Amino acid sequence: MSLVAEAFVSQIAATEPWPENATLYQQLRGEQILLSDNAASLAVQAFLQMCNLPVKVVCRANAEYMSPSGKVPFIHVGNQVVSELGPIVQFVKAKGHSLSDGLDEVQKAEMKAYMELVNNMLLTAELYLQWCDEATAGEITHARYGSPYPWPLNHILAYQKQWEVKRKMKAIGWGNKTLDQVLEDVDQCCQALSQRLGTQPYFFNKQPTELDALVFGHLYTILTTQLTSDELSEKVKNYSNLLAFCRRIEQHYFEDRGKGRLS
Amino acid sequence: MAAPLELSCWGGGWGLPSVHSESLVVMAYAKFSGAPLKVNVIDNTWRGPRGDVPILTTEDGIVSQPAKILNFLRKQKYNADCELSAKQGADTLAYIALLEEKLLPAVLHTFWVENDNYFTVTKPWFASRIPFPLSLILPGRMSRGALNRILLTRGEPPLYHIQEVEAQIYRDAKECLNLLSNRLGTSQFFFGDTPSTLDAYVFGFLAPLYKVRFPKVHLQEHLKQLSNLCRLCDDILGSYFRHGPMGISPAGPEMIDVNLRKLTQLVNKESNLIEKVAFLHHCFPMDDNLRQSPQLLPRKLPTLKLTPAEEENNSLQRLSP
Repeated sequence: MSLVAEAFVSQIAATEPWPENATLYQQLRGEQILLSDNAASLAVQAFLQMCNLPVKVVCRANAEYMSPSGKVPFIHVGNQVVSELGPIVQFVKAKGHSLSDGLDEVQKAEMKAYMELVNNMLLTAELYLQWCDEATAGEITHARYGSPYPWPLNHILAYQKQWEVKRKMKAIGWGNKTLDQVLEDVDQCCQALSQRLGTQPYFFNKQPTELDALVFGHLYTILTTQLTSDELSEKVKNYSNLLAFCRRIEQHYFEDRGKGRLS
Repeated sequence: MAAPLELSCWGGGWGLPSVHSESLVVMAYAKFSGAPLKVNVIDNTWRGPRGDVPILTTEDGIVSQPAKILNFLRKQKYNADCELSAKQGADTLAYIALLEEKLLPAVLHTFWVENDNYFTVTKPWFASRIPFPLSLILPGRMSRGALNRILLTRGEPPLYHIQEVEAQIYRDAKECLNLLSNRLGTSQFFFGDTPSTLDAYVFGFLAPLYKVRFPKVHLQEHLKQLSNLCRLCDDILGSYFRHGPMGISPAGPEMIDVNLRKLTQLVNKESNLIEKVAFLHHCFPMDDNLRQSPQLLPRKLPTLKLTPAEEENNSLQRLSP
């Protein structure tokens, strides 16, 4: 969002309390949504659950185009639309709910750094695996991405998105990486997260923060998504404290609140 | 380790061993870990690679990106992180990701995309080091590559305009600098008294921003207000790069600071406190110099690995009245 729009949103946001009919939009859960989008959406849902803010999840085929920044998920609250975890966290903070108020300056810096690590390594690796790995792209991604549309639109949109993602990978230097190198990076990232988590229940001891929501979103999706090969989820399964962490958040925030099992 | 490792990279200027961030990161890491690197500065001839700099040439082949070069050096047992705990290693990775996501777009913008800076400083500098007619093509290509990277990672499709993201990337960069400054606090380096990979990365990204003289400078102004980050850059430059390849040496007050630091470090090695005070008063009877750099005196500096003892004695004799 541009600076002016952000200032506007936070001013308006501060005046109204969280409404009952807030909705979160994402793509169709069964046939269309992809690994990276599902991870982002789950992270936002987990964050809102942790803040105790009710939100209804609505699935639409054109969610990506409805979003103001082109990325899912986005939330529709009152008469504002905010997309992506970063701006949503700020929006929720403007309304007076925050998970990271109890942290001091150094801890806040660490939290931001680890969130960037997850975005930089895990999210990019997921995008790489979905779009640049020929096997996965051909078998799974193309079919899923274009599924709501008739021929030939489904092929055109899928190829266009793939071209865009490949361009981005090349610009940041991931264009020449092989799948093994990408998996090694994922392993390094998981190792760093595992070492930071240690034996604590959450990353900053007793209370969960947006970092916990983000990590949960990505790791849970990786662990539960069926891909052509299991290598990605195997890398995460090597770290038992990360598995326990995902299980804990799933039980505490999703099952106990009566939402049932996440699909 | 028998054959020399050669690093090809861009040269230096404004007191830095290299003006290119990634080359600086590799050079700094090599100095911290004690790896013997022969540095080949890219110059005006047709020799040597120019594309994916920095490039490490070993007897087995070439290694190209900074992350891969650092991994290679670690495998050769040149490790600057051996004293870090597992958690600090994890923190290093996270902070490097923060630097790449938040600070790098703004650094790229300041160097390559901002028109005033690019046409008056960056382009002439790089063009003078590339032989004609490549000097007409290569800087332009690097500039377009930088713009591309900024837009693809920060811009919002389908419009991709640079103006929309400029304000955002500078705001993110200032926030990132503030976070780094908070994390560094008052300690010598990020993880204690010895420099590590994270210090190499921070130095590599910040030093060009700090030292190169640009016409459009608001990010540089912000950095100069964060005195602990500037002190980190000056420390590393003073301690590790004095004997190495350097461009134009800084004259005037910076030279006095360096000598002050050398003397203070020699003095700190002495254990007798009274001797220290008398010694300093003897060398600097005027109080102005001490007031100029108040933060240097009370600190304890780590022992320098590179400077031989005789040189320090020589400089002492030069300075005592």
